Amino acid sequence: MIETLIHAFSEVFSLGNLALMTIGVTAGLIAGAIPGFTIAMAVVLTLPFTFGLSPVEGLSTMIGVFVGGLSGGLMSGMLTGIPGTPSSIATTFDGFPMARNGKPGLALGLGVWSSFFGGIFSAVLLVTLAPRLAVIGLEFGPWDYFSLVLFALTITASLSGENLVKGMIAGALGLFIATIGEDEVNGVARFSFGIDDLESGFTFLPVLIGLFAFSQLLSDLQDRVRARQPLMDASSADTRIKIEHLKAIRMVLARWTNLLRSSVIGVFTGVLPAAGGSISNILAYDQAKKASKTPEKFGTGTPDGIIAPESANNATAGGALITMMALGIPGDIVTAVMLGALLIHNVQPSPTFISDNSDLAYAIFVAFFLAHFIMIGMQSVTLRLFVLVTRIPMYVLASVILAYCSIGVFALNNITYDIWVLFVFGIVGYVMRQLGFPLAPIILGVVLGHVAELNLSRSLAIDSDLMLFISRPWSLFFLIVSVFSIGFPWFQKARGTKAWTLAYIPVLLAAVSVPLFMMEGFVRPIIGVALLAFSAYLLWRSAASGWKVAPEGDHKVHLE
Amino acid sequence: MARLNRDTLVALLLLVFCGVMISASLEIEETNYGTMPSSVWPQAVLGVLTVFCLALLGQSIVKAPAPAPEENTKSGGIGRYRNAITVYVLFFLFLLTMPYLGMLIGGVGFVFLSLTLLGEPELKRAPVHLAISIGTIGLMWGIFTFGLGVLLPDGELLQLN
Repeated sequence: MIETLIHAFSEVFSLGNLALMTIGVTAGLIAGAIPGFTIAMAVVLTLPFTFGLSPVEGLSTMIGVFVGGLSGGLMSGMLTGIPGTPSSIATTFDGFPMARNGKPGLALGLGVWSSFFGGIFSAVLLVTLAPRLAVIGLEFGPWDYFSLVLFALTITASLSGENLVKGMIAGALGLFIATIGEDEVNGVARFSFGIDDLESGFTFLPVLIGLFAFSQLLSDLQDRVRARQPLMDASSADTRIKIEHLKAIRMVLARWTNLLRSSVIGVFTGVLPAAGGSISNILAYDQAKKASKTPEKFGTGTPDGIIAPESANNATAGGALITMMALGIPGDIVTAVMLGALLIHNVQPSPTFISDNSDLAYAIFVAFFLAHFIMIGMQSVTLRLFVLVTRIPMYVLASVILAYCSIGVFALNNITYDIWVLFVFGIVGYVMRQLGFPLAPIILGVVLGHVAELNLSRSLAIDSDLMLFISRPWSLFFLIVSVFSIGFPWFQKARGTKAWTLAYIPVLLAAVSVPLFMMEGFVRPIIGVALLAFSAYLLWRSAASGWKVAPEGDHKVHLE
Repeated sequence: MARLNRDTLVALLLLVFCGVMISASLEIEETNYGTMPSSVWPQAVLGVLTVFCLALLGQSIVKAPAPAPEENTKSGGIGRYRNAITVYVLFFLFLLTMPYLGMLIGGVGFVFLSLTLLGEPELKRAPVHLAISIGTIGLMWGIFTFGLGVLLPDGELLQLN
């Protein structure tokens, strides 16, 4: 392992790679700071530039954009009150008041260093947990994988909007799109309607860029007046602010419990398929407020209100990378794009990825570490660039990016057909946005469709008994959490008002303990006992209080 | 008659789509090899999709239609989508003319026309828009052609490759 790590260090620390990562982090910081420009969009647009690079260089650059984007959102949030990305919404609650109270340098310092420590914490977990999770992943048979994909899709659908049915439809549509073209198992053309190009199906990236980036830009242009105005009014933002690094480091480390709790929340949220920084920053803020001795100070510019969301959202990135690298399941749109990048370089993420491609896997770990150090260095520089970029009107930016999308998509396979795919899915994405369909499930459906079909086919080839989906512990585990994830929107809506919500978590814990009891060894059944005991305790506590409900958090959880 | 709920219409259209695709899935070739026929997975997905569409239809009928947002009535139907339609039409033309104009000229034309039609309709802005389109597309074309070694389509008009 040490040898691999040293080799990864030498690759990541090469001058060319460092330069690419610095450009990536800078681009991410700026893109993250611009409202309407999500991190996913920045990563999607970076991808075409990485086609000609080596896998290490390409992925390092994209990780740079990812980390930069997560930290960039705090700049606009603190200086203008408008969060750059959904991942930094909660940062604005206390960051903006602190900056308005004459401490913008400290506010930025707290944000930057919380992001740094949260990211480094998750990087440590990434290095230690991803290989272990991959070992667990090796236990998975095709039945378990199929159920895992089902879980990833149901949780994405349930977290991605107000309307669960629309989320489910989007996920199923994504799966259907993935079936178009030649069947991977038998080589039979499907839904090609006699069109030769359709027989090869759709390459994932033009579909993703069309559905996500193209439609996002068109939505940003919808308001004709706003499209002609500068991106945001950042003229009042003082670019000569000196970030108070030392004071911020001291303050962040003095609040280490908050930092640790928020980072753990961030990593856990990232590990879950579909849950990203937009959720973790609000969850961490809520928990920090509940744990605080002075919750009334939240919202007035308290340091804890900045530390919690910023450490959580950067920690989420590490969590999402853990799932992608260990199991080959993307945690969100950003990691879906990274998965696409790996596929371009003929690397198939799976539980054997870390052992089979250890050089690349460890290079990703190292790049994730390094990106946080570069982010600290580039924050002050990008503060000035950010104000310059915000003067550009959206219609200029969108027109140029749309043309760039077409060039980037063409570069993938050197065929014009991919640009037509981009165009068609740009329309589909835009129409779906207008009709209130979330796009995250459709994108995950497209990415995971082949995985689901392949594993279903393999499982039926091994044994036609469908009961294996229930009798195998991991498969049952994922099916149980899928069912509960479908019920999550109703739970979230009724929480604090309906008595049945008090039983939701205990029943979930009791249910997931069943497959744990079915697993071999001692540790997992013991965890099952612990879960069952905790479930009984929660039920007893609710019964003792007469099943009285009390309002909990006031922030709803949903995807970007 | 009550106004037709938008979701009802969407659900009905999706159901028609499912019907057409299920019918197309019956045409998928049956092979005498492989355990799972090629039509099983798409049919399962379409079956699930149909159930969800029926759920959306039921939900949209049961749920009272929400009052139309004020901005919709103010901006007047399709006018809201003017920018989007403009860009799609221009992009379509850009794609259609690509074999003749190529990526460089077509790209410059697309960006210039987009900027002109989406931005302030003033003649004095035309040179600025032209400069932006030549500068940005030229730069990207250069990066991809010379930096990344991608042979972008040059078109019949300007054969560079």
